[in-house]
Amino acid sequence: MKRFLVLLMISVLAGLTFSGCAKPPKAERELAEKAFKDALVGKDCDKENYLAAEELLNKAREEVNKKNYAKAKELFQAVKEKSDAIVKYYQDNPDKCLPKKKEVKKAQEEIEEIEDPATDPELEFPVIYFEFNEYTIRSEDLTKVDLISRWMNNFPEKVLRIEGHADERGSIDYNMSLGEKRADEVKNRLIQSGIDAKRVKIVSYGEERPADPASNESAWFKNRRAEFKRVN
Amino acid sequence: MSIHSRLINLFFILFISTGLYGQIKVEVRDGAISEYNMAIAPVINSEGASPAQSKEISDAIGLVLDITGYFKMLDPKSFLEKADVPPSSVDFKNWMNVGANGLIKGTIKGSDNVELELYFFDVAEGKEILRKKYKSSAKAIKKAAHRFASDLITLLTGEEMSFMFSRVCFVEKSGEAYSLISTDFDGSDKKVIYSVKKIILLPEWSADGKKIFFTSYEKSNPNLYSIDVATKQIKLISSHEGLNTSASASPDNKTIALRLSKDGNAEIYLLNTTTSELSRMTKNMAIDTAPSFSPDGKEIAFVSNRAGNPHIYRLWVNNPERVERLTTQGKYNQDPDYSPDGKYISFTGRDEFFAFDIFLFDISTRSIARVTQKQGRNESPTFSPDSRLIAFSSDRSGKNGLYLSNLKGDKQILVYAGEGEVVSPSWSPEVIKQ
Repeated sequence: MKRFLVLLMISVLAGLTFSGCAKPPKAERELAEKAFKDALVGKDCDKENYLAAEELLNKAREEVNKKNYAKAKELFQAVKEKSDAIVKYYQDNPDKCLPKKKEVKKAQEEIEEIEDPATDPELEFPVIYFEFNEYTIRSEDLTKVDLISRWMNNFPEKVLRIEGHADERGSIDYNMSLGEKRADEVKNRLIQSGIDAKRVKIVSYGEERPADPASNESAWFKNRRAEFKRVN
Repeated sequence: MSIHSRLINLFFILFISTGLYGQIKVEVRDGAISEYNMAIAPVINSEGASPAQSKEISDAIGLVLDITGYFKMLDPKSFLEKADVPPSSVDFKNWMNVGANGLIKGTIKGSDNVELELYFFDVAEGKEILRKKYKSSAKAIKKAAHRFASDLITLLTGEEMSFMFSRVCFVEKSGEAYSLISTDFDGSDKKVIYSVKKIILLPEWSADGKKIFFTSYEKSNPNLYSIDVATKQIKLISSHEGLNTSASASPDNKTIALRLSKDGNAEIYLLNTTTSELSRMTKNMAIDTAPSFSPDGKEIAFVSNRAGNPHIYRLWVNNPERVERLTTQGKYNQDPDYSPDGKYISFTGRDEFFAFDIFLFDISTRSIARVTQKQGRNESPTFSPDSRLIAFSSDRSGKNGLYLSNLKGDKQILVYAGEGEVVSPSWSPEVIKQ
């Protein structure tokens, strides 16, 4: 309480003494506020100075409220100087101030070599998808079948079962045949690529085993499929 | 038999033989009747019979009369006469005033052994036209009601209605559980014939109505079996590698048509069920499936995508090289069923709005009529043994249920909805006439 009274007295005296500076330092304040805003870019890479500038600005604002305009003016000028320095630091040190760019660069440098999935005994088999009422393999899915073919060449003792499916639309009867035709097309492609027909079984489940039970285009697409299953 | 009922019967023999249908104002023109308003008064219950039984009887008669499309059923809420007025004291003015042409009344007595008496009156004439008395167990009263309805329809229209003495079987799917179920034509008297957590498919009655053919994945491969509906005895019918499905019994019950894919592609074969001899009907790289015998056993309607999209075809059993394409409209026609009178082939078609609906192909005019429209997905039509009605599955109320419709499609009624999805209904031949 005592300290507060002393401060009050000093400031009253000061106000009387410097009666020549009775106006708030408007121009200096504007320059300082703008410069501090610009300094935001360096908030992280020049953190210490940014926090210092922030403290100075708060002090300056307080002095304005106390009508210590001369002191406030000095402080605003200090804020501008510090803020300009932060911006300069930001411009001079892009490597420190633009960390994201640096990270991207780093990732590009790290190239990992992936093993051929066809050599993986635990390979998760891809699913072949079909258009509505179709059983020809879509061109984008041919590489999936070729992967299976290479896998079967790498594991010659393995026998696979291809399960053909249809979406729920259309008759149960016809969909049994669509599922069978789809499985058969995939089997034929494997045989053409040199796989022994005895190593490929097929079964149709028609529309009985949907991958997605919903009734919409995306579910139907997921359901018109041929899946590979290990027999041994 | 009382003298009274003897007189009534005698009266009707004369009545029918002289063809006086006009007198009771029911005229059948091209399957349509000039407006005939039918009232079913509440059946009066006494001596232990419950109001629920009364309702069961009037509902059973109402459903049958309604589904024929021959009658306009009047709303009981509009009735003026008190429900407890006995059949002997009907005031016909009350019924004329609600616009009734015909009136059905009845009484039911007893709880376990029931005595049911049903009456039909011509309202304008103020005359009793038909009276029948039935004694039955409480369980069988619905069947008695059906017999009365059958007799009444025959009396009024001159047409036999044998659909009331038949059953429908279907598969009900509930997750991984599959059940082969049969019910009376109206969805009542449900019997679970076979239930398993393996896929079962495409049930179809034998021509004598004693067995049901179906495909099961029990042994992993989709093999064809038959099950005796009385003994539940299962017999393996066909187990070639690949599909063994879609049986259709020939009218003499000696042969079945079926789809086999043992040749690497779906083809239609005939299988002699006693000698196991197979004869191949189709030879084609396309899908050929869903055979349905014609009632004379000479033809088989089937589905093929030999022209690109699935369409309805027929072939001649004695000369299977002879194949005729029947449908040209649409791009997705499936599930043909030959009507027992040989006039129609019903099928599922997908229209230009991608809706699946039931259609009729008229064999003599080659025209196509639509049975269902804008009410969900409708599939797998099957004819009643008298060719008057079609049963099919529909998801119009959310889940697949069993529906009946007359051929015009102006009456469509949900008769069975269960826990699961009803698929692939098959209507039996006439088997349970009592």
